[in-house]
Amino acid sequence: MDNGKNRKYTEAPIKILLAKPAIDGHDRGIFVLAKAFRDAGMDVLYAGLLPTPEEVVDTAVNEDVDVIALSLLNGAHMTAFRNVMEILKKRGINDIAVVGGGIIPDEDKPALEKMGITGNFGPGTPLSVIINHVKKRAMEIRKLRENEY
Amino acid sequence: MNIDRLTDGILKGDYRSIARSISLIENSGYESRKEIISRIYRYGNAKIIGITGPPGVGKSTLIGNLAPMLEDHGKVSVLAIDPASPFSGGAILGNRIRMQAALTRRGIYMRSVSNRLYNGGLSEYTWDITKILEASGSDFVILETVGSGQADVDIMNIADITCVILAPGLGDEIQAIKSGMMEIGDIFVINKTDREGSYLAIKDIRESLNMSNKLSTPVIGLNSITGENYDEFVAHILKLDKKNFREKYYRKLKMVVMETIYNKYSKYIDSIEYNNGILDKDPYTMAEEILRNGLGKVRRTYNSHSEEENNHIG
Ligand code: B12
Ligand SMILES: Nc1nc2c(ncn2[C@@H]2O[C@H](COP(=O)(O)OP(=O)(O)OP(=O)(O)O)[C@@H](O)[C@H]2O)c(=O)[nH]1
Ligand SMILES: [Mg+2]
Repeated sequence: MDNGKNRKYTEAPIKILLAKPAIDGHDRGIFVLAKAFRDAGMDVLYAGLLPTPEEVVDTAVNEDVDVIALSLLNGAHMTAFRNVMEILKKRGINDIAVVGGGIIPDEDKPALEKMGITGNFGPGTPLSVIINHVKKRAMEIRKLRENEY
Repeated sequence: MNIDRLTDGILKGDYRSIARSISLIENSGYESRKEIISRIYRYGNAKIIGITGPPGVGKSTLIGNLAPMLEDHGKVSVLAIDPASPFSGGAILGNRIRMQAALTRRGIYMRSVSNRLYNGGLSEYTWDITKILEASGSDFVILETVGSGQADVDIMNIADITCVILAPGLGDEIQAIKSGMMEIGDIFVINKTDREGSYLAIKDIRESLNMSNKLSTPVIGLNSITGENYDEFVAHILKLDKKNFREKYYRKLKMVVMETIYNKYSKYIDSIEYNNGILDKDPYTMAEEILRNGLGKVRRTYNSHSEEENNHIG
């Protein structure tokens, strides 16, 4: 359609992968988020129930997502989220943003932030707040990538 | 240059390079598209297998079964196209979930893209993405179209083998589908043979093929939950040669060339209506001037475009 000009990479739809990287049957939140992200104009992937951290990272790389959204309500976030971050680090991937959410106690948030997982929103957070946060992180990533090519 | 590193990565089959190249083509527009494709389009020789059919008939589930079986005969990669929402332009890329477990086990590359409201069952960049997947060393590229139920005939121009997937219980819909899809299928599949009515559906398709003088076209019943009859399906795919390979290749090439030329000039063509100064020229002269003088000259002559706009055009 408009391949006659060089569109800006930052303007294309944000691509986001939703994942619950541990045994956690609470899947309502992630479906609510999937629809909300789509309605905000994003391309949304869902990693399915019970992906291993390796599978989450593989999917993120092969699909070239801008953002991984990790969700857990079962209390396993400190270990499960960290596993994902460690695999990203081990593979030298620093151009995918990671955001988190679910039932995350306030005292865990600084440690998650330090790992590079931002947001960490819980029940009752307005969807607009979540969407704006995701957009902000995605734009950081897009700028980074745009400078690379 | 970074693009060289990326295209080297594609040729070596590196998944990260493949993935990033596809995004650049989808997101960055013409220049990146050209830089990438010009470096890789000569490489690769894959059999392109199109999987098309109405929504929910089991296309993605089928690919989850088919891809690992084909992997025994060569390297496989998968591209699946999901429909974008007409309201937001966003998309839930749901095809992956039905096949990812099977593909991950074999390390098969799979990419989901939104059609971004492009019509016809494919996305605007399907040809380019297929080229990338071919160049990455795939022997088979499997394409899933958007399940629209209408005649998604575009797949026929890209795929070497087009498989039309149907299922029992489509009701009256099948009549509409038949009119559009009987022509394009090289193989017909009735999926969900565990469901009532599959025998009748197979019979119905056979009869329609007979009437269109396509007697030798295979019609295969599959159960994608148990994997029943997949051996036969795979055997047919392996047996079918690339049909009209050269003709298809050049037809598509011509289409891309034509689209590109149109896109390059369309701004100048579109601008004609609000350009008072050129009303005195007849359309043939205008067209000849645009083609003869090149875009730089045209800009000066009609002088209707901002600098910013012109910067995008080579
Ligand atoms: C409904 C529910 C269930 C249902 C789940 C149904 C389903 N299919 O989802 C059922 C009954 C099955 C269930 C079972 C259990 N549950 Co329960 N459940 C709840 C409950 C009441 C609501 C969860 C919900 O659906 N909320 C609605 C959705 C839309 O919101 P959400 O998931 O929170 O998501 C929003 C935000 O958190 C945020 N968000 C979420 N993820 C992410 C990710 C990112 C990246 C971002 C940015 C934002 C974000 O955005 C979302 C949209 O607004 C909560 C209590 C609560 N108030 O949260 C307990 C709760 C989560 N359950 C709990 C427990 C313990 C269990 C059980 C272990 C046993 C039990 N005691 O009931 C089992 C385990 C099930 C399993 N296999 O994992 C505990 C967890 C305690 C903890 N983590 O320390 C909770 C907190 C109740 C409690 N106070 O004890 N549960
Ligand atoms: N009973 C039965 N169900 C099947 C079979 N194959 C697929 N399904 C189910 O049919 C539903 C749709 O399957 P998909 O593979 O998503 O179908 P699709 O054609 O890819 O759907 P779209 O991409 O949305 O058009 C899922 O619930 C599958 O589990 C089968 O052979 N028998
Ligand atoms: Mg599908």
